[in-house]
Amino acid sequence: MRFRSMGAREIAAGVREKKFSAAEVFEECLRTATDCEDRLSALAAVTAEAGRIQAKRVDEKVAKGEDPGLLAGVPVVIKDNICANGIRTAAGSRILGDWVPPYDATAWSLLADQGAVLLGKGSMDELATGVSDGSAAAVAAGYVPFSLGSDTGGSIRLPASYCGIYGLKPTYGLVSRYGMISYGSSLDQIGPFTRSVEDMELVMRVLARHDPKDSTSVSKNEIFARRTNTLKGRRIALVKEFMDFSPTLDQITADAMKRTIRLFEESGSEVIEVSLPTVARYAAACYYTIAASEAYTNFARFDGVRCGRAAEAAGLREMFETTRSEGFDGGVKSRIIVGTYLSEPDCYEKYYVAATRVRTLIAEEFYKTFDADRIDCILQPVTPSLSGKIGELNLYTLTANVAGLPAFSLPAGLQIIGPRWSDGELLDIGLEVEKISGAPKIAYFLQRR
Amino acid sequence: MSNMLKMSDFTPVIGIEIHIQLKTKSKMFCACPADYSGDEPNSRICPVCMGLPGSLPVLNRAVVHQGMLAGMALNCAVQPVTFFSRKAYYYPDLPKGFQTSGCDMPIAVNGWLEIKDDAGNPKKIRIHCLHIEEDVGKLLHSASDGRLEGADASYVDYNRAGLPLAEIVSEPDVSSAREAVEYVTALRRRVRYAGASDVDLEKGMMRFDANVSMKCADGRWGRKVEVKNMNSFRALERAIEYEIKRQRKIMEDGGEVLPETRHWNDAKGVTTASRVKASARKFMMEPDLPPLVVTPDWVEEARASLPEMPNEKTARYVEDMGLSEADAAVLTDSIDVARYFEGCVDAGANPARAGNWVRTEVLRVVNEKRCGADELTVKPASLAELICRIDDGRLSTTLAKRVFEAMLDGLTVDEALKKSGAAEGEVGADALGELVRATLAANPDVVEEIKSDKLDKNTKGKKIKFLQGLVMKETRGQARPDEVSKIIESALNLR
Repeated sequence: MRFRSMGAREIAAGVREKKFSAAEVFEECLRTATDCEDRLSALAAVTAEAGRIQAKRVDEKVAKGEDPGLLAGVPVVIKDNICANGIRTAAGSRILGDWVPPYDATAWSLLADQGAVLLGKGSMDELATGVSDGSAAAVAAGYVPFSLGSDTGGSIRLPASYCGIYGLKPTYGLVSRYGMISYGSSLDQIGPFTRSVEDMELVMRVLARHDPKDSTSVSKNEIFARRTNTLKGRRIALVKEFMDFSPTLDQITADAMKRTIRLFEESGSEVIEVSLPTVARYAAACYYTIAASEAYTNFARFDGVRCGRAAEAAGLREMFETTRSEGFDGGVKSRIIVGTYLSEPDCYEKYYVAATRVRTLIAEEFYKTFDADRIDCILQPVTPSLSGKIGELNLYTLTANVAGLPAFSLPAGLQIIGPRWSDGELLDIGLEVEKISGAPKIAYFLQRR
Repeated sequence: MSNMLKMSDFTPVIGIEIHIQLKTKSKMFCACPADYSGDEPNSRICPVCMGLPGSLPVLNRAVVHQGMLAGMALNCAVQPVTFFSRKAYYYPDLPKGFQTSGCDMPIAVNGWLEIKDDAGNPKKIRIHCLHIEEDVGKLLHSASDGRLEGADASYVDYNRAGLPLAEIVSEPDVSSAREAVEYVTALRRRVRYAGASDVDLEKGMMRFDANVSMKCADGRWGRKVEVKNMNSFRALERAIEYEIKRQRKIMEDGGEVLPETRHWNDAKGVTTASRVKASARKFMMEPDLPPLVVTPDWVEEARASLPEMPNEKTARYVEDMGLSEADAAVLTDSIDVARYFEGCVDAGANPARAGNWVRTEVLRVVNEKRCGADELTVKPASLAELICRIDDGRLSTTLAKRVFEAMLDGLTVDEALKKSGAAEGEVGADALGELVRATLAANPDVVEEIKSDKLDKNTKGKKIKFLQGLVMKETRGQARPDEVSKIIESALNLR
């Protein structure tokens, strides 16, 4: 149990300084995962073989005196919608069958280049309906110090807050989406789960790279360079329209909000109230329209011809229909149906084009509010209820995706949302909060006796 | 009613959609090579052009550049900001289940081309727009005739998937099959001039669809029929002719032309109604590509690389060089030939003679070798040198042609002269005098006629030319023609 509670930075340092080997770390993490999996089901696949080879390579580099990378020997879980060359990737869907991608997602290859070692693929619900729950649980239970998820409308922040760990939905464009199976292309972002802000920053420094393979990716690595180690003088905003929902808040979340607001005030931050009427009123409809339209076209490639599962059928049309009827579950089907409907010639202008216009207004309202009131971040719950239904729209999280903003989910079930490219500052704020309220602990109770 | 209608009472209204493959090194959204000719099926593919889950497109700048060039060659205006759309439908040759296309906001709009109408008068065909989009894969069916019907298995080759295309949509300004062919011929020539596409019809780089409808003098309008699947000028011409006849017949009989999509069957020479019901095309913005911004600098860069177009060249050849319009048209048909001709003229050759040489000898060789004029071993400067020697009388045309043949093997003019049997002026004055005397002796009747006063000057000249020809033949073309006639004239005491 030497490594279970260690962070990524500590493990990488130990491997580099030869205090222990990457192979030792990997074998112990593998044992933890094996012990917990029958109760937790966090992994869609355990990649013992691939991981052992990677760990061995790291140890060889260390032995030769070569630089093993910032994440040398750190075991990682990546969500099963992120491709790794030669590793079966199903994204929680039958339709992909036994598909093995012939290429690496950029996010995974950046981690691998820095010496990270793949322990497994994080389980998820199918495609569009799939929050990154497996990746979050694997970090909370201590299989690995960090993991990757993806967030389209809250899929990182929700499981992070359910599990009491950190989850970051970066600014749209900060992390390459190449090799991540798209759901809503203009909403999706890959982001990490960690048990400390320090690790979050370490992983983000590795991931935040411009990728020539993703046309929406941006070069902004420098945003993690600056450091402001105080909460004094920070301006923290509470959104009136979202605070109005407080009667529906779980007591535990309401308490966390009160506690955290007090923490900010006592640390010299100014907590003010702002109003985002357009966001509150239209973000959900806008999100649903865009997500469904993009999902419908993104999932159109699953037809059984090139990859994944293909149904036996006499004719072409029948093959398409059977493959897709059998391959998708209800949640995905309903999104495809809605998306198909919304892009019909009659509806296109009325819904899809309207949604893209409203989206611009929402982004502008956020921008103006951040700018005019010189706000560092918005503080709000990740979800009003910790026992939300799976697949339900969550207005508290999806606004950041609609506007492309970074949102950092703190272990207490709260998130801080900042302007575009303020990811580094959100981590700075998170770090100061962590210094006061402490870092999350591992959920040991899952261990098999 | 039908008996009262004449053929002239029907006016065909035709719009043409053309797909051309833009000339680039790699595909539209990935680094796979654009030239896959002769390669194994599915050997020129990657996760991006296969549309594998997780892959994302990255726009090839060269596609935008070539698209702009094609648009400019067709007198279109380039749009500063455009975006791509997803055009969704299901078909096995379509890797992503949607085609990424600039159709919703074309990169070039409002162009035109000038052709001659059926009466020979100039006519403008307006071009609605040009947009860029990706090609799909190729379906291969197991049936013996390669067609879908009767095949028990079908295969897809994705080598072609993701190749860059430009779709060029005309306004319905075309009124006959002949005009259609002239329009696509002119368009093809200009696009090739611009270097935007090789437009090789045999390689499927140019494909046609036609929207045909009929207007009747009695006020009736037939509905628009889309005719698809034409891959050659001839197929386009035949398909339109067939469709005009078919629609006219229906309207003459008082029937109604249905708005539908019909496929051209080249083997049978008919169009048949497509059994696939055309579903409404669904569009949405392509979220994986940012808006395409074409800066003024980029537009200028493209414009600067645009060469002089064929019509302007033809006019210049006629006005500045004194060539006939017909000769100029032949020389400007393809840009490599025009450049070859201009190279000869720039190197000092007389334009008229250079024009003749290029139209006959150069084009003959180019056609025989199936290569471009720019690939010939004889460079324009060498041909110009040869032509100059004819002009200053050092070489006869006959000998020059033999020398040209030898030059095709890579020899210089002088080397070729030697190889073709003799160096210039090898026939000395004495030997030539001897030959002339022998020729005159062998043709006493002609000599007698020339010496008599019965002939007018013109006829006399012809007779001398005849003798000159005989002497030249004896020297196997190696003597200088003007020298031969001089010796003949002095031998006959005409000088």
